[in-house]
Amino acid sequence: MSAPGKIYSAPLLVNWSLNYSCNFSCEHCYSRFEKAEELPAGQVLEAGRRLAEAGVLFANFGGGEPLLRRDLLAVSKELAALGLSLSLNSNGWLLDEAAAAGLRDAGFVSVGLSLDSHRPEVHDRFRNRPGSFDRVVAAAGHLVRAGIKLTISTVVCRINYQDLAPLLELAKRLGAAQVYLHNFKCSGKGMEHRFELDLEPLEWRDFYREALAFAANPAYPEISFDDPILASLGVRDAEHGIPGSTCGKISLHLRPNGDLTPCGFIPLVLGNILRDDLPTLWRESPVLESMRHKTAKGKCTACGHYAACLGGCTARAFAVSGDLNAPDPHCWENPCG
Amino acid sequence: MELTDCYRRRPGLPWREERDATRDAFAALEAGRDASAEGTLLVVERGRITELNLLGGEVWKLCDGTRAVGAIVDELLPRFEVERDELSRDVLEFVADLLARGWVVPA
Repeated sequence: MSAPGKIYSAPLLVNWSLNYSCNFSCEHCYSRFEKAEELPAGQVLEAGRRLAEAGVLFANFGGGEPLLRRDLLAVSKELAALGLSLSLNSNGWLLDEAAAAGLRDAGFVSVGLSLDSHRPEVHDRFRNRPGSFDRVVAAAGHLVRAGIKLTISTVVCRINYQDLAPLLELAKRLGAAQVYLHNFKCSGKGMEHRFELDLEPLEWRDFYREALAFAANPAYPEISFDDPILASLGVRDAEHGIPGSTCGKISLHLRPNGDLTPCGFIPLVLGNILRDDLPTLWRESPVLESMRHKTAKGKCTACGHYAACLGGCTARAFAVSGDLNAPDPHCWENPCG
Repeated sequence: MELTDCYRRRPGLPWREERDATRDAFAALEAGRDASAEGTLLVVERGRITELNLLGGEVWKLCDGTRAVGAIVDELLPRFEVERDELSRDVLEFVADLLARGWVVPA
């Protein structure tokens, strides 16, 4: 057995925004300003068939709030029958006992709930929805009792980066198997609020040092980072064995209308799942080619970590500079370079 | 572990064959080249990707609970230029590793 270091025949994971509609309006949301027609159920199934035929193993629904789609359970049941391993991310507002049972019966392997603070008032304010903390805590209980693997998704930013310990304690109490610490992305509303919410590079470094210490502590739920700039702290190929961003290497993003983009934060359309041949796009897309063969620019040219981090998060770099090869703005290395 | 033991892949564990890689690896074998380092099948567990090489991938596909380890050796023997004893050792060792990982279960 060996560690991988190449591009496979197809994505392993597709992050699938079934809808951009949402009952929340969170301060960091990447998709709040996005508009796209939603595919009807029949075309969602056709898209799923094409993913499964290409060899995609995992589909993770996001958006938007997936539970707003009335046909979610029916469609998901058929997608799971195609062999796709299903998960979704939700704000938890609509996730009552019946919904949790429905998700389990539809074949969902895990469900992620967004939780941005252990303090109810902070979470509610960030999500612009009074009562959302209580609802997400209740949703966690429904999922655990339904026997679905619970994960917690937290967007790390200025409102919570100093509260990791109590957040992890809460996740543990809720029965979460895993906590995803998503790094803040300046896309959509996140770009609007970038200067209020994003951390300075050295703050990111210090946050990650603390988080890595928690990750090594078995008393807490497993922590998942998926941030390539961790390479400069000696964390290389931490979870999947892929240097740099995973977008376009093992994963893609599907918009509600079937358009494919490298990830939800890079608005470059590669093609459409219903009109184009996925394996051909995956092999031949010039955008993906650029993301897989990045060229060091700026301070990255002299950085000893480049081979492992490949310039960090390509989406963050693209969002602030329009250049896929630009250095990640979160990177703390060589700040004057 | 014995050649008479029978195992099946753990239900729900995601995996995928890289068919082009399998084809290329068999072609390399036929041409007398070493293809043992080529990953031909991917197993994904808890976000971690593991590549199996050609022999491992072929064993994995046959671990479907319908045949004993010895029968897997019988099926693979004509496809790999190797002595039966050596192949039996390799397959037993590999299946034992899969069992230790929890990737196969007794059938």
